[in-house]
Formats: sequence, C-alpha cells, structure tokens
Amino acid sequence: MRDPLPVIETAGVRKRFGDVVAVDGVSLTVRRGEIYALLGLNGAGKTTLIRMLLGMIRPDAGSVRVLGAVVGADRTVWSRVGYLVESPAAYPELTVRENLEIVRRLRRLPEPRAVDEVIEALSLPPGARAGTLSMGNAQRLALAKALIHRPELLILDEPVNGLDPAGVVEIRGMLRRLRERGVTILLSSHILAEVTRLATRIGIIHRGRLREEFDATDLDSRVRRRLTVATHDDDKARAILAAEGFATLDPPGASRPGPLALPADSPPDRVATLLVHAGCPPTRLAVEEEDLESYFLRIVGGDDDR
Amino acid sequence: MTGDLGPALWAELLKVRRSKLSRISVLAFTVAPAVAGLFMFVLQDPARAASLGLIAGKAHLSGATADWPGLFALLGQMAAVGGLLVFGMIVIWLFGREFSDRTAKDLLALPTSREAIVLAKFAVAVVWCLLLAVQLCVLGLAAGAALGLPGWSAAVAAAGIARVLAAAALTVLLVTPFGLAAGIGHGYLAAVGVMFATLALAQVIAALGHGAYFPWSVPALLTQVADEAGDLPGPVGYALVLAVGGAGVLGTALWWRRADHTRCPRAVGASGRLRRTARRRVA
Repeated sequence: MRDPLPVIETAGVRKRFGDVVAVDGVSLTVRRGEIYALLGLNGAGKTTLIRMLLGMIRPDAGSVRVLGAVVGADRTVWSRVGYLVESPAAYPELTVRENLEIVRRLRRLPEPRAVDEVIEALSLPPGARAGTLSMGNAQRLALAKALIHRPELLILDEPVNGLDPAGVVEIRGMLRRLRERGVTILLSSHILAEVTRLATRIGIIHRGRLREEFDATDLDSRVRRRLTVATHDDDKARAILAAEGFATLDPPGASRPGPLALPADSPPDRVATLLVHAGCPPTRLAVEEEDLESYFLRIVGGDDDR
Repeated sequence: MTGDLGPALWAELLKVRRSKLSRISVLAFTVAPAVAGLFMFVLQDPARAASLGLIAGKAHLSGATADWPGLFALLGQMAAVGGLLVFGMIVIWLFGREFSDRTAKDLLALPTSREAIVLAKFAVAVVWCLLLAVQLCVLGLAAGAALGLPGWSAAVAAAGIARVLAAAALTVLLVTPFGLAAGIGHGYLAAVGVMFATLALAQVIAALGHGAYFPWSVPALLTQVADEAGDLPGPVGYALVLAVGGAGVLGTALWWRRADHTRCPRAVGASGRLRRTARRRVA
C-alpha cells in the first residue's frame, strides 16, 4: 500500500512564459522512499517544474506542496530538502571547503564536521579552488551541496551529468543507499539507461504535460515486444510466413534494413519449423523487447506526429 | 530573519575577501588621493604647472585651489563621482556575480531567507564603500600634509572630512538600485549600462542647473567648494537620495523574493532537434 502522505504533490500546475506554455497542468505525486525519474526532452518543462517545486518560479495556476507544506509559505521546509538544478555552480575563487562552509552556514547546520563528512563521502579535493575543478568534480561539489544537511528529499536535475563511468556508478550507488535510508529522490535525466537502473517510478513529460506515469516494474507490461527473424532471403521468408497467416510488422518492399519483425505472440518454434520446411531456414530468431529509451522516444515522437 | 543575517554576512564577507574587486577598489581609492595630491602639487606652483602641459590645464579646469579646503573639495568630488562608479561596481558585483557564476539558484531554497541574503549584500556594500571613503580621507590628509598645504585648521579638516564621508554615504545610497538592475539583467552587463547612463545623466542635469533635484547629482553638489556653491542641494535633494536608497534596497529584496528565477525556457532549437531525432527513431 502506498504511503498516504506524498512528499511532493502538484495539482494542475501551469506556467507560461510569454507565448510558451512551459508546464501545462501537471499533476504529479512522489511518495516517501521513491526514486522518481522525470524524463523529457530539452524544453519539455522538467526544469521549470523542478524550479516550481523549489519555489524559484511561481506557478500561474495549480498548487505545489513539498513535504506537506505549500511551497513559498514556509521556508523552514528547505532545511529538509537538498537540490541540484541545471548545471553545477560554485564560487570559482573559493575552495571546495569554503564553498561548502558557506552552504553549511546558510543551511544553519551547527556542526562544522558536516563539511568534512560530505567532502569525504564524495571524494572531493577540499583545498582545490572550485573554478579549477574538472566537470566531474564540479558535479560532485554540487551534489555535496545538496547532501550536506542529510535531506529527507533530494531534487536532482541531471545528477550524473559530466561524471565519468566510475563516477556514475558511484553516484548511482550513493543514491541507492540514500533511498535505503528513507530519502525520497526526484531526478530528471536524459541518461535513460541510468534511469532504468535507479528509478522506482517514472514520469514522462513532453511539451509541458505529464504524458505517462508508471512504476518502473510496470515497464515490462508497457514496452513492445516482437519476434525478429533473419534469413538469407527475407522476401521469400516473408511470403512463406504470410501464406501461413503470419503478417510481418513491416510491409513487403519496405526499405527497413535488418531482420523481419513479427508480433510478439508469434510462436518461435512454429515459425522456425515453417521456414526450415520451406527451404528458407532462419539464421537468427529472437524475441526483442523495447527498452526505456525506445519506449520514451515512441511516446514523445508519437505525440509529435499527432 | 535576524538570525539569518549572521550566516549571510559571513558568506558575503568571505566572498569579498577572496575577490579581486576588493583589491581593485582599494587600489582605485589609493590612486584617487594620489591624483588629488598631484593636482595640489601642480596648483601650488603655476610656473611648474605650465611646464607640465596637459596636466596643468586639467588641474585648472577642476576649479580647485592649492589649499586644504580645495583638497577636501577635490576628495569629495572623487567620493561622489568616482564613488558612483566604484561603489556602483561593488554593488553590481555583489549581486551580478550570483547570476554570472550561476550560483543565484543555490541561494533561493534555503532556511536562510532571500531577504537576509540581500540585506547582507547591501550591508557589506555599505561597510566596504565607507571604509574606502575613510581610506580616501586618510590618504588625502597624508598627501596634503606632505605638500604642506596652507589653510589648515581643525575646523576646516573636520568640515572637509565630514563632507567627503557624507558624499560617500549619499553615493552608497544611490548605487543600491544597481543591485536590482543586476538581478533583472541576470548579471553585470545591464547594470553597468544603467550605472553609466545614470552617471552621464547626473552630469548633464547638474550642468543644466537642476542637479539639486536629481538624486544622483546631489553628492557632487554637496562637495562643491564654498565659492562655487550656487546650486547646493536642499532638503528635497537629500530626501530624494534617501528615497532612492530605500527604494533600491526594498526593490531588490522584493525582486529576489517574488520574481520568477529562471533562465529563458525557450530552448526550442535544442528540443526541436531532439524531437526530430525522436520521430526518426520511431519511424
């Protein structure tokens, strides 16, 4: 059963900038302990939505609640929220430690040790000037600023941008550990493989609207599957299969390269037997499944075609 | 909010200590009294001034006399006109850097209020600018003493220093709207443009004889030497300066509190390209 108290709750949130409707009636709920991934193209409205969650932008319509509080009404709620919005930023002439010390004080954390702990947790060079950091370390510093106060809720816009593969694995592990400790995470990402590995719930936002929202475990039931068949003579194979009532997904004469595709419910053993007996044996037979990336592109691409 | 001010002040002071602008401003207010001393040195001896050509000409154009009242008038002009530029740059840097370094977003959702951060920036600006004015006075006094200028008395010195500091204080009030301009302009550029436009306008309006009623002309008028004082600012002028100062602080605080803090969301080009990719992938 789902937690009755959502950590993030938006209802019919709308924001327009001039002629551009950046967010259009988004109602979204993130519950305690979830890693909610917000997927969308550039300009889809992810960052505007995230900025509204953090009180940086006022919605034209709708309501936004974070940790039970109406955003803008009570700033004490920010002591329980960590965030990283858009690209990482820090004061370039200050060291990593000084940048974090500023955050510690502005977050009213009494313990100076918090700075050392987060520096150690994120393997940051404490004496390095922020302006000289590599992109990966700048991203780590931004994450350190989001994590220094051990927040209950993390809102992260593209958290693994700029990290090398080892850094991505490390941050993924850290986010998982945070979730195990009960931290709720809302993240936006373009790296769909990363989302697949991390998210417990996924929302697809496109042109300001929340198009799809589902549990990550439900992805299986949403993705398309198909049986692909490769032979030495695809036209002949298509004709053989059509004669037995197996319609291929791509029409005859289609210029699409690669194997023939059949509906996922086509029995592979029957297809193989049929082709072997007709003198056109398959060289490859596989059930292929759409991944999150293809599913996402189908949803947003299909929407654009409408 | 009182409790918020301490951490915000600490943060601003650290940023100032590490900034190049703090050193540049100290240098500017070291050069300024040195230049004032040079003017006095030239004016002390007209024959020597004539041999210096252009510098002597400019020294005469300043209308200054080679005595203590003249030196204080010159220092006052530097605090008023030079101050508008240097103090203006300080305020623009304090606010504009948060946008240029993209750190503004990190100040918006904190337990420390945005108003406290704005007030801390203005408080640091006031202290920084007034310390520069004190430096200007101290170095000016040293220059005048080294040149052995005539006309010294404790009363002349007290009145002269008071005018320089008053001009500086009024100028600090007048640069507060540049903090708002830095916010609305999301960086330095627009605010610097506003600052130069204001400076030019102040010069033109003062030259036309209406400076007493244009706040940005008031500090320079205040520091005129007595025999030039045909257009001294009155209570209206001072009230307008106070109003500008109050409006600058209040406007900046309200802007930080209420404005939409966003970058332009019209990334249509990039999203259009991605949409086309999506269509190709689907096809």
